[in-house]
Amino acid sequence: MRVLIIDDEEDTRQIACMSLSLLGGLDVIEAENGQDGVNKAAVEQPDVILLDMMMPMMDGPSTLEALRSNDRTRNIPVIFLTAKAMTSEIEKLKRMGARGVLTKPFDPTVLANQMRAILEG
Amino acid sequence: MCNVDFPNKLMRLNVNLKISHKGFILVLVPLVFELVFLIILSVLLQKAEEEVQRQVRSKAIISQANALSKLFYDAGVAMGGYSITKSPLFSDRYDKIVRQIPMDLTELSNLVGDNDKQQQILVRLKTITSDGLKILGEAKSAIDDNRVDVAQFRARHMYKQIRQLADQLQDELKGLTEDERKIENESPEQQNRSRTMVKVFLVVGVVVNIAIAFLLLYYFLKSISIRLNTVTDNSFRLARGQRLNPPLTGADEIAQLDDAFRSMAEALAEASRKERAVIENAADVICSIDMDGKFVAINPASYESWGYYPDELMGRRFIEVIVQEDVPETIRSVRSVRGATGKVSFENRVKKRDNSLVHVLWSADWSEKDRALFCVAHDITQRKLAEETLRASEERIRKIIDHMIVGLLIIDKEGRVESVNPRSESMFAMRSHEMVGRHIMSLFADSRIFSVNDPSDRAAFMETLFTKANSRIGEFDCLNARGEDFPVELSLAEFEYGDGKVRYMANILDVSERREVERMKKEFVSTVSHELRTPLTSIRGSLTLLAVGAMGALPEQVKKVVSIAERNTIRLIGLINDILDIEKLEAGKLDMVFENSPLTNILERSEQAVSAFAANNGVTLDIQPTSLMVHADGDRLVQVIVNLVSNAVKFSPKGAAVTVASEEIPGGMIEIRVIDRGRGIPESFKNRLFQRFQQVEASDAKKKGGTGLGLAICKGIVEQHGGSIGVESEEGRGSMFWFRVPKAQVIVAPVSAQPATDAGMVTMSLHQ
Repeated sequence: MRVLIIDDEEDTRQIACMSLSLLGGLDVIEAENGQDGVNKAAVEQPDVILLDMMMPMMDGPSTLEALRSNDRTRNIPVIFLTAKAMTSEIEKLKRMGARGVLTKPFDPTVLANQMRAILEG
Repeated sequence: MCNVDFPNKLMRLNVNLKISHKGFILVLVPLVFELVFLIILSVLLQKAEEEVQRQVRSKAIISQANALSKLFYDAGVAMGGYSITKSPLFSDRYDKIVRQIPMDLTELSNLVGDNDKQQQILVRLKTITSDGLKILGEAKSAIDDNRVDVAQFRARHMYKQIRQLADQLQDELKGLTEDERKIENESPEQQNRSRTMVKVFLVVGVVVNIAIAFLLLYYFLKSISIRLNTVTDNSFRLARGQRLNPPLTGADEIAQLDDAFRSMAEALAEASRKERAVIENAADVICSIDMDGKFVAINPASYESWGYYPDELMGRRFIEVIVQEDVPETIRSVRSVRGATGKVSFENRVKKRDNSLVHVLWSADWSEKDRALFCVAHDITQRKLAEETLRASEERIRKIIDHMIVGLLIIDKEGRVESVNPRSESMFAMRSHEMVGRHIMSLFADSRIFSVNDPSDRAAFMETLFTKANSRIGEFDCLNARGEDFPVELSLAEFEYGDGKVRYMANILDVSERREVERMKKEFVSTVSHELRTPLTSIRGSLTLLAVGAMGALPEQVKKVVSIAERNTIRLIGLINDILDIEKLEAGKLDMVFENSPLTNILERSEQAVSAFAANNGVTLDIQPTSLMVHADGDRLVQVIVNLVSNAVKFSPKGAAVTVASEEIPGGMIEIRVIDRGRGIPESFKNRLFQRFQQVEASDAKKKGGTGLGLAICKGIVEQHGGSIGVESEEGRGSMFWFRVPKAQVIVAPVSAQPATDAGMVTMSLHQ
């Protein structure tokens, strides 16, 4: 399973990357901003996208919108990774087309499993 | 004695007569005298007339008697002539006389009438004449028969007889006329006497009558005029204030008048006495002021009120006692009194003798007749002071209201603005006159959507307003004159001014700034949480990756240190999460989505979250199965259960079990119980248990971990569900934490089924 991580925060991206690859045994592609993520998603066709909420220039929701409007990326499931998880926001994001929401700080040991649970759920 | 008594009796008699009776007597008495007088006079005149009649008759009787005597004599002469001459001339003459005699006798009989003596004479006269005529008749017959001897004899004889008869006749006639002649002779004298008597009687009668009339007139006039004079005198006495004459006796009109006059005089005296008493004892200064503005009369109240005795003020100009500054206005007012009909009031200040001031309300009336001003001066100093105090008090209250940071709107029951304070003006960017009369709805953002001219919209708005803000604080969006919305907190208070009309005071606080601060705070919290979590994510991730050996196996010492770092990082994350939750709960801003869900799902998720922790502590979890449905925010309920179970695990001895049971209880609630067999909670601590940063033992934080915020968060979450939370515990025997949340709700009709206005009014609520 190939995962695309879109997060402007280098450290977070690397930790997520390591926990998914080292502990979860997944292929991970990184993108450091929304636009980069949309481009990479179109090219690489990942199985799932982990999308950060708060990013400069193009934030999570905008990126989701861009992904949804692109035929090549429209069907790729998107899971948000957010530091401000409010129930109402989760609902909103789900309505926008997100498959699920994971909160920061995440537990690296269970991140892959949590992701899989959402995709299966 | 008798002489003295009589007039008194008469007087008494007269006194008791009414004037009308007196007038009656005055007319009647002379009239009666007149009548009597007339009757007597007519009797006298009748008598005189009779006398004249008698005289005339007597004359006629005498004349008739003389005629009869002559006829009788002529009859004899005619017969004599006839006997000698046998001439028919004498015969005719004789026949004529014979026929005439009975007629004359009848005539005489008529004249004599019923005089007995004369009647007897008349009877004899008739006998004599008839005898005579018989003899003469025989003589004539003898002559006619030519029996001269007989005739001569008879003639002789007859002559003798006739002579006798004629004498007798003469005597009888003499007897007959004798009385009459007497009458004839006496009558003029009699008549004279009679006339004189009538004249005398006439004069005396008239004089007596006039005298009586005058006497009566005099007496009555005197009796009336004396009494009338007494009454008239009384009126003068009354006018001069002297004692009245003694009361008149009697019961006539004058006595009644006198009586009435006395009553009136007494009433006047009483009224005057009372009036005087009122003026003398009045608390107000009562005075009259002449054309020159001088006091001409003043009551004793002047001393009490102004410190001047009446005598001191008499003759002084009244403006002398008026405070200098008030004089021009006073003069103007006084001038206006003279032009006015009725009373004129004005106020000024009077300078008392001790130079202090009295506020006076003058009530003045100009009398054209007396050419004077009648004034009542009422001391209104107390009232003025009270007014001043009231004014000052009002001023203070006005100032307070003017400087309030809360906008005040007074509205009537229908919602029309009656008055506003300056803060309201600035808040709504309108002048008060623009606001007064408006409907309060026009000041709200709702007026963009709903029409303030529609009565049903207005009514719906007012209902919402009362529901949300009557006697409590409601949140609304208002609209200012520039068309800008701004959030407010509004509270309505019902009150009355005393006119029986219900009014409401709307206290409006513009919370724009506070909202902005809240927004910034929220943003800050959000930012901080993000900014803290981002590095923590990296630290925690790095440490965990190290700890689990993702980077290869670590030496035991390193692994220990990394574990400490990891554990404390996790604790820090927990603390940050708890602090954020608490902050949100306190602000009532913890987002929750309530939905019906099976309790068993929530319990499962909770179990998953704490099972590892329980296992690590050697505690077994006993989650009892349930089919109950709750109406709750699933994630938050998981948070509560995890928190309670974690606590239970922490304080349970190894090998013990923590039980989670649930049960529906009355009131549509579901109670979830977390039961441990730990050390229990001291009674004294139970009250503080759900407060922040409270732990039973100070060392607990270190030993057991936790932030001391867990139960406070649980309480906040449960209460936001409309539920409650509590604990039952016995020290040394374990605890039972319980909380109650609503059970699943029956799906109700969607909101859109409600009237559009009501649904629209929901927009008024900013944060419900």
